[in-house]
Amino acid sequence: MIAATQAGAAFAGLDSRTTPSKTLISCGALGLALLLAIVVSSLVGSEQLPVRAALCSLASFGSTPCGLTSDQFDILFQIRIPRILLAAAVGASLATAGASYQSLLRNPLAEPYLLGISNGAAVGTMIALVFFGANEWGRPVLAFAGALVATMAVYRLALGRAGATPERLILAGVIVTTFLSSVIVFVTTLMDATRIRSFTFWLLGDLSGTSTTLLPISIAIAVLGTILLSLNARSLNLLMLGERDAFDLGVEVRSVRLIIFVVASLLVGSSVAASGSVGYVGLVVPHLTRLSLGSDNRISIPCAALGGGLFVIAADTVARTIIAPRELPVGAITALIGAPLFIYLLKRA
Amino acid sequence: MLEAREIQVSYGERVAVSGVSLTLRPGEITAVIGPNGAGKSTLLQSLNGRIRPSGGSVLLDDRPLDQFSRRAIAQRIAVVAQEAELRFPITVLEFVLGGRFAWATNSGWGWESKRDLEIARDVLKETELTSLADRLMTELSGGERQRAVLARALATEALFLLLDEPTANLDLSHQATLLSLVRSRCDRRQASALVITHDVNLASQFADQVLLMKEGRAIRHGVPVEVLTSELLHEVFDVNVLVDSHPVSGLPRITPVHELVRHS
Repeated sequence: MIAATQAGAAFAGLDSRTTPSKTLISCGALGLALLLAIVVSSLVGSEQLPVRAALCSLASFGSTPCGLTSDQFDILFQIRIPRILLAAAVGASLATAGASYQSLLRNPLAEPYLLGISNGAAVGTMIALVFFGANEWGRPVLAFAGALVATMAVYRLALGRAGATPERLILAGVIVTTFLSSVIVFVTTLMDATRIRSFTFWLLGDLSGTSTTLLPISIAIAVLGTILLSLNARSLNLLMLGERDAFDLGVEVRSVRLIIFVVASLLVGSSVAASGSVGYVGLVVPHLTRLSLGSDNRISIPCAALGGGLFVIAADTVARTIIAPRELPVGAITALIGAPLFIYLLKRA
Repeated sequence: MLEAREIQVSYGERVAVSGVSLTLRPGEITAVIGPNGAGKSTLLQSLNGRIRPSGGSVLLDDRPLDQFSRRAIAQRIAVVAQEAELRFPITVLEFVLGGRFAWATNSGWGWESKRDLEIARDVLKETELTSLADRLMTELSGGERQRAVLARALATEALFLLLDEPTANLDLSHQATLLSLVRSRCDRRQASALVITHDVNLASQFADQVLLMKEGRAIRHGVPVEVLTSELLHEVFDVNVLVDSHPVSGLPRITPVHELVRHS
């Protein structure tokens, strides 16, 4: 907590407020770091690529091979770059959603999975695997649909006389999560061995199945979602202090709550649809952002998006290189990094 | 003017407020007193739109309250309630700046203007919190935090202040300071205030009008000397009181008369 004010003081003298310039500088720095991460990560992998040629080709956005062989060019632009971009989109989506949930629910421990959304997506995926196995679109569309259905179920359950209060939302989320978990376990026992294996891997967070058709959608949703949530950042700042206070100060609490909840849920649904359950991103990245930049959502939401992208790119790079040529699910890496980091953050607080 | 006409608020079978009328005029402080469950907080919440009355109406500047947007109401009516939830670190300045939200041009997004900062700084000076502006809210004492909550309400520049037991949990010196700040805002800017309080003597000293409530109904509404009588207070609180004239201010001074029964 002291770090926030110290960092703030370093930024703008005695005034530790979040200012537009502070936000621009932070976002700019993180944006550059993200760009760097994309480039560096694309050079790393089980297949060694000539650095100069790869950099030259990247700089031309894939218009010239710059001396890369046709295979190397494909590895770079058909496999690695799409995967890295998806990692960035997933990381940004999950971190932004997590930051918004934590502010909306006034609970620093709130994270996308607490509200049953990932399990909803997982159930949707299962239905796709069982009934529409061959269709590429089946899994993401039904995962997304499952996430939305879970979101609506949680919201409906949580609606009381005063709207869906944070306490009721969390309770409803836990109920829906546990119910859906048992559904998943039940259906898993009915699956055959090969399906169980690929499903389990996917459940743990898997970026290897990046589809180039679906990638633009994931990126578009990540960008749009972050923008939409950022547009409500000031309302979220007030909601963080309590819904009564926010209401009295002029926030349209019910509609803001609905927007945040739906947009954040769409972000999580689209991430899970693309890559399964990449855990801890929505928990750890917003925490780190708030610790270093303060709790003002106008800076912490955009920066969480960029930081989330960085985090998942890093984790996925480790996941695909550490036991090369085999791969680990990226969710395993984010958990291995995320859990101890979270314990450390808890101790500091 | 903020006016409540024959307000009725029911929660199903239970009637919380019944047939209460009230007018907040510029420059006046109205104290609302009554036992727990009298409907005081419910009445306050119906005045800024947090609760919709099931009967009667609330008029702001002669127009029904529900014709105003949330932000328009927040620009005119400010609430000072118990302390905010402080689960995330926030400085006193940022907290007080929250009061400027209703005046933001971009509402959900947007940054504070120079004017917002000026107003925040003025209000911090008024509430003697300038030296604490960059401290975290959680580092402040109870009295200082309550002053910050008042400061935020003052920053909204609303002309109607609704205070729900603002002096509960404050020590003697802070109680007087807080209400003096309200008094000075009402005097200097012709604002009006509604103050719910358990402290009848404080009400007597600071209020221009007193509303005495019991079980959702208005028992008496008038100047302190009319309302704060031993008969009425006995009727409402079921306690014996002695009402005399305060030796310094001349205002009604209420002293409960307890029969302490010692058990041997």
